[in-house]
Order: sequence, then structure tokens, then C-alpha cells
Amino acid sequence: MVQINFAQKQINAKVVYYGPGMSGKTTNLEVVHQRAPDNNRGELTSISTDGDRTLFFDYMPLDLGTIAGMKTCFQMYTVPGQVYYNSTRKLVLQGVDGVIFVADSGPDAMEANLESIRNLEENLNEYGKSLKTLPHVIQYNKRDLPGALPVDELDKALNTFGTTTFEGVAATGQGVFPTLKGLAALVLKHIQTECAGGSSRPGATNTTGFHPASQAQASGAGTVSAPPVGGAPTKSNLDLHPAATPAPAPAPTGAVAPQAQSGGTAPAAAAATQPSAARRAATAKAAPTKPAKASPSKLMQTQGNPAPAPSTRPAQRTRTTAPAPQIRRGQGGSGAKTAAFVVAAATVGAVIAHFVLSAL
Amino acid sequence: MTTQDDARLREDRLVFYEADMEQLHTELDGFLELSKSRCAMLIDRDGHMVTRRGEAVESSSESISALIAGSFAATKEMARLLGEPEFAVMFHQGQRDSIQLQLVGERTLLAVVFDERTNLGLVRFYSQEATVRLGETFARIASEVRDSSLSDDFSSAGAAALDDLF
Repeated sequence: MVQINFAQKQINAKVVYYGPGMSGKTTNLEVVHQRAPDNNRGELTSISTDGDRTLFFDYMPLDLGTIAGMKTCFQMYTVPGQVYYNSTRKLVLQGVDGVIFVADSGPDAMEANLESIRNLEENLNEYGKSLKTLPHVIQYNKRDLPGALPVDELDKALNTFGTTTFEGVAATGQGVFPTLKGLAALVLKHIQTECAGGSSRPGATNTTGFHPASQAQASGAGTVSAPPVGGAPTKSNLDLHPAATPAPAPAPTGAVAPQAQSGGTAPAAAAATQPSAARRAATAKAAPTKPAKASPSKLMQTQGNPAPAPSTRPAQRTRTTAPAPQIRRGQGGSGAKTAAFVVAAATVGAVIAHFVLSAL
Repeated sequence: MTTQDDARLREDRLVFYEADMEQLHTELDGFLELSKSRCAMLIDRDGHMVTRRGEAVESSSESISALIAGSFAATKEMARLLGEPEFAVMFHQGQRDSIQLQLVGERTLLAVVFDERTNLGLVRFYSQEATVRLGETFARIASEVRDSSLSDDFSSAGAAALDDLF
């Protein structure tokens, strides 16, 4: 869910890359991390298996800068794509504000794509959300694969709600940033529209005429001027970043999109096996967070540390720790003497507890 | 607008004002003083940092927030298998620093980083009390009428910022 902090003038939103296993979700995030300006990107953290498959999620904060006086940050996650990690995917979707669905254009990937987008909708439904109203875009990744499925076919099968689609070759960086910008625009618009009706509360008159479901649809995926089926943006959607070094590739088949031909293609095998050195490096970076365990004996040592001297405790501490109000209510407040006794007892109890705990 | 719609609106975002943050900071500062902990963080269950008091942690607080929310969420399934709705407290002990996570209200976590200057019992004792008061504050924030209107040019300025960024 969007978090708006007027005290810190900050807005946080959560964006999730979703899609079938090996479709290129982590590769997308790695490219964003590699190419985003240093001042705007946070650390890329991966919780993955030894085989570089995402186990829980990859995470990276992206600072979009100060927008209309509010520092706006996207917390960007990927999910593990494998079917059997559904409970993990569901957890990562909690509070999501926008989804980038990364579809695999491989000739044999249609079933996995369909299964994944169905799974996405099911998991969103469990949080009371739906692709119908949630800002989302679709990226048809691996357009350089020989025999890649035609965009028309993918669009017809996956783009149920007519949202904006992008073609990409994430392994070379193509299409990564247009996809992200496409989603970011939808999310920001959604936030603004949603907040425009934000003063309504139970008992208050909705003077703005705002209605969450219809308004979200109006601002999100539902009414984004999406291209017709088969009309996915082509060359304009490609991010032909200078840093993307085209690799020598076998000649794509006729099914490969034109932009893939012009934008430099990677060998199909390389695109299909996307775990990269960068990903391993990111995993290694995250590694120190894993072994932060300690033996039971350490627990004993810590608990046995010398406690702070009682004389250093301020008198205020006793008052703060005494749960007197709750106890008074529990006793029913039958009389001043009873209340005073309870307060005194609670205070003494708290003091004793503090001494005992400090001495441990 | 129905009550259900309103409930959904509140679920869709959290809005904090200056007064809210001052109240939360006062509570956290008092807790840190009593428990002698290094740092206290309030983290939304979605992984967003609400605020932090005390010493700065060495790594990125955003990354830590995401990992804390993730690890807390992951134990929910474990709790379910044991017939519990969820675990309210988690504890990780390190060689130098330890961290205790405690659920505050419905959707916020209190993460406390502490070292050898205090002990788990003291931290747990005071965090139990602090979470009750923090929970009341968050419940009030979630139920109050909140004007969260943003500047009219927010989304267009955002689009321009994205063009500059990438």
C-alpha cells in the first residue's frame, strides 16, 4: 500500500516484477540497478538459492527524486517464478501498488505464462485486489529467441485487461526502462487520483465523488490508452542503451520482432539461462545477512551480561512502566482506596520486574 | 460511499502527519532510554519504513525494512501450521547485535536492535508496553479523517522526473 508521510515529505510505493520462472524478472531488476544513477538506487538484495534462483525475493529501493515536493521512492521486488513457491509469491504481493508482468516469449512458454498470470490474479484476489484495477504493464521478454511467440498471440492470451505492453530483451537491457517508466507513470497517476478522494471517511460526505473501484480503474490499467491487440509498442519501446553490448547471435527466425533484430540479440541459450555474474555478485552481497545466527551459548552470554546499575534509572521509569490505567479499568474503579492500592501494587510490581530483569 | 469502500481506502494507504511522527518519536525515544537498545524502527508490514530512532544501523534501512517485513511474513505460514494465526514476536541473535521484531497493531512491526549494553528480557519487557501505546497511535491514525491530497501536477511532474532519471 502507498505510504504517504507528510512529516518527512515522502511517498513510498511497492512495485513487484511477476512472471513465470526464468522469464527475466531478476534480470530486469539487475539492469535497473546497474544503470540507475548512484544517487537514486539502493542496494540490490537477493535471497536466492545456490543455483541463483530466487528463493524469496530480490529487492531494490529506487528513489525517483522529489516530485511536486514529495520525495518519491519505489520499493522494487521480484518474486520466485517456480510454481511451488506460490506462498512466497503471495507474501511479496502484500501491499503491492503496481505489477510488471514479465512474460517469456519462448516458443514453449505460453502455458507457463498463462499459469503465472492466472496465479497472479488469484493471489491479488486474496488481498482484495485485481489486475482489473491495479496498475500493471506486461513485458514480452526474450524477443530475441529463435521461434519467439508472436506478440499478437501473447497479447491475445495474456493481456486480458488491455494494458500497455512492451517488448524486451532484458539480458541486453532492451525494453527494461521503458517498461519501468510505463508502470511508474501508471502508479503515480493512480496515487494522485486515489489521494484526491482521500478525505472521505465513515460518516463523511464524499464530496469528490470518488469511488475506489471505479476511480482506480479510471486511473490505472483499465483505461490506459492501450494499444489494440497485436499493436504493442515496438521500436519506441526499446531501450537501446549504449551500454548494452550486442552479442553475436544466430540469425533470428522470422517470428522475431523487428526491434530485436535491430537492437542486438543475444544467443538464445544465453537468454534462456539468465543467471549472470551480476546476479551472483548481488547474491554474494546479500550473503552476509544470512549467517547472522548465534549459538545458544551466546544467548546465555548476552542474557548474563551485567545489568545497568539500578541507581542509573530515572524515577520517571517507574511511572512509565506501570500499567496502572489498564489495571484500574480492569478492577472496575469501585473506590478511591482500591484504585490507589492497585496503582501502588502495579508500580511496585513494575519496579521489581525491572530489577529482576536487569539483574539477569 | 459504503463502509466497505472506506475500509478499503484506508487499507490502500497510510498517511502520516507531523504530529503523528512526533508522538511516535516520543514513544520510541522513551522506549530506547528504558531498554537501553541501540535502535528502534517502525516498519509497515509491506516493507516500508515508517520511522527510525536511535543509532543508525550500518546497512541501508530500506533494505533492512524489506527483509524484516519479509521474514516476519514468512513465519506466518509456520504459525498457521501450528494452529496460530501468526507469531507476534521474533528474535534473532547475532554475535554483536541482536534484533527483536514485534507486531504492533494490525500492520506495523517494531524492530529493536540492541547489543551487550542490555539484555533480551529488558528489551522484551519494555517493548511489550511500548507496542500497546504504539498500537493505539496507529489505530487512531488509521481511523482518522486524513487529507492526503497531493499537488495537482504530481503525476505529470513524476513523468518528467522519470524522463530525466532514465
